[in-house]
Amino acid sequence: MVFAGGINMTLEIKDLYVSIEDNLILKGLNLKVNGGETHAIMGPNGTGKSTLAQICMGHPSYKIESGDILLDGESIIDKTVDERSRLGLFLAMQNPIEVPGVTNFDFVKAAVQTRMSKDEHLRIGRFILKFEKASQDLKMGQGLAHRFLNQGFSGGEKKRNEILQMKMLNPRFAFLDEIDSGLDVDALKLVGQNVTELKSNDLGLVLITHYQRLLDYITPDFVHIMINGKIVKTGKDELIKRIDQEGYDWVKKELGIEEEDVKPYSLGVCPSKH
Amino acid sequence: MKILQFLKEKKTLVAFDNQQLINNAKIKIKNNHLDFTKENDYFVFIDNYDKYDKLSFNIEKDINVRIYLITYQNKNIKIEYDFVLNESSKLELFTNFNTRKNNDLDLKVNFELSENAYLKLMNALVYNGNLNLLTRVNLNGKKAACELEVLNIGHQNNNFTVDQFVRHLNKSTVSNINNSLIANQMAKLNYSVSGFIAKGNELSKAHQNNKGIMLSDKCEIEVEPKLFIDEYNVEASHGAAIGQMDEMQLYYLLSRGLTEQEARSLIIFGYTNPFLSMIEDKDIKRMLTSQITKVMKEKANNE
Repeated sequence: MVFAGGINMTLEIKDLYVSIEDNLILKGLNLKVNGGETHAIMGPNGTGKSTLAQICMGHPSYKIESGDILLDGESIIDKTVDERSRLGLFLAMQNPIEVPGVTNFDFVKAAVQTRMSKDEHLRIGRFILKFEKASQDLKMGQGLAHRFLNQGFSGGEKKRNEILQMKMLNPRFAFLDEIDSGLDVDALKLVGQNVTELKSNDLGLVLITHYQRLLDYITPDFVHIMINGKIVKTGKDELIKRIDQEGYDWVKKELGIEEEDVKPYSLGVCPSKH
Repeated sequence: MKILQFLKEKKTLVAFDNQQLINNAKIKIKNNHLDFTKENDYFVFIDNYDKYDKLSFNIEKDINVRIYLITYQNKNIKIEYDFVLNESSKLELFTNFNTRKNNDLDLKVNFELSENAYLKLMNALVYNGNLNLLTRVNLNGKKAACELEVLNIGHQNNNFTVDQFVRHLNKSTVSNINNSLIANQMAKLNYSVSGFIAKGNELSKAHQNNKGIMLSDKCEIEVEPKLFIDEYNVEASHGAAIGQMDEMQLYYLLSRGLTEQEARSLIIFGYTNPFLSMIEDKDIKRMLTSQITKVMKEKANNE
């Protein structure tokens, strides 16, 4: 498969309506991310920021009511979760899942191998060096390779492990869903540095966050404010500063948005269909 | 006697059937009694044996041994294994029971532990047939301790009935039981796990951990963890977590590009890997890995 690179890469979300268990979460969301761009999505709790990331990844609990998600101009809404991943989408999850008995090394190796064509072979020595380098860059400590996936990891370790996987898998578009939660100041800086190093024309980034602090380390090209399931305002640095100082009430007032009694939707388990 | 090829090269092999005995390890064997008096790793291969209905293994005082016990049967059989661990002896025992013709196996495995004796039992049950297994451990001496690790993969229409009894019969005795159970197709795995701490045996510890994964709608796993405690100053816990494959784990692996089959295999590997990693001998580990792969592939082919 030949992917578009650099500025020709696009991830476009068009007039997307998404529900979960009959609750409409996204209500006509539009967003276009080009290769090399970094977009920050901010907004109050329960406005659908994580839903946006999950639906792009193909989480089976969410249902697209209408609209489309286009990768390089082609719809991916009928693609399975793993197909989307292999097409270059990545989601650094807010709550990374623990998989007992499966080592980090075996997992990442399997994820790298599954991206290879049939006539390609994993060069194990090179892979080990890359894994160790990524592990060192993120100060994950020795023995990470042999630890079971996310099991017994601190909150910060889990988030850094998500970035490690991102470094190893070289996605084309990555959603980082509240990657800053659970990180102390030093770890946040480290994650910020590592993500910034990954920035290139071959990577489009979508950062979902509540706080300015992450954006101190990863500079976004665009800042979007999301309220009631859609993006209501787009700007740059000035938006971050104002949100940090005044919250979101001014946006609602300025745009005449009425309060909705929305609570964040928590996913316990999801069905097996995908 | 059809000895597995890799075992033929082991210098400490003890192999026997009803007619023949190979004793490369030079251990003391008299009738149905095997005496282990030297520290070593031993490979005991028993082929289609029913000369006696009981085999006894004696581990001498202060001796540390590791025994890999592999058996093959061609017919339905009832047999009992007795292990005596004398004072301060240590036994690491790997067991692997096999059948060539889907036979039924009725098995009793008994352990008697003296003071300071330590037993680690690694019981790999990838048996292709019906199995009744009774494991009894008596912690007779002070500070006797045991760890029972079971990996049981049931497939086809196998019935496994496993009873585990650990009796704490002295002070400061310790038992840890970890059962990892995988059922697919129409297999039924029934486990009864019992720990007894008799009165006066203070500072004893009894822990049981059971986890099971069901890979089809027609298989069954039933676990009854039980603790019978007649002493206050002890530590004990038990638990059982049985269910279908965790869908969130599956989603997580899929989101990294693994196909559904790859993701499912990796999650199953997560059940088997901790057990496999405890096996020191590479050949034995390879043998068990091959057995596991074979039964898991069998599932894939039938689907």
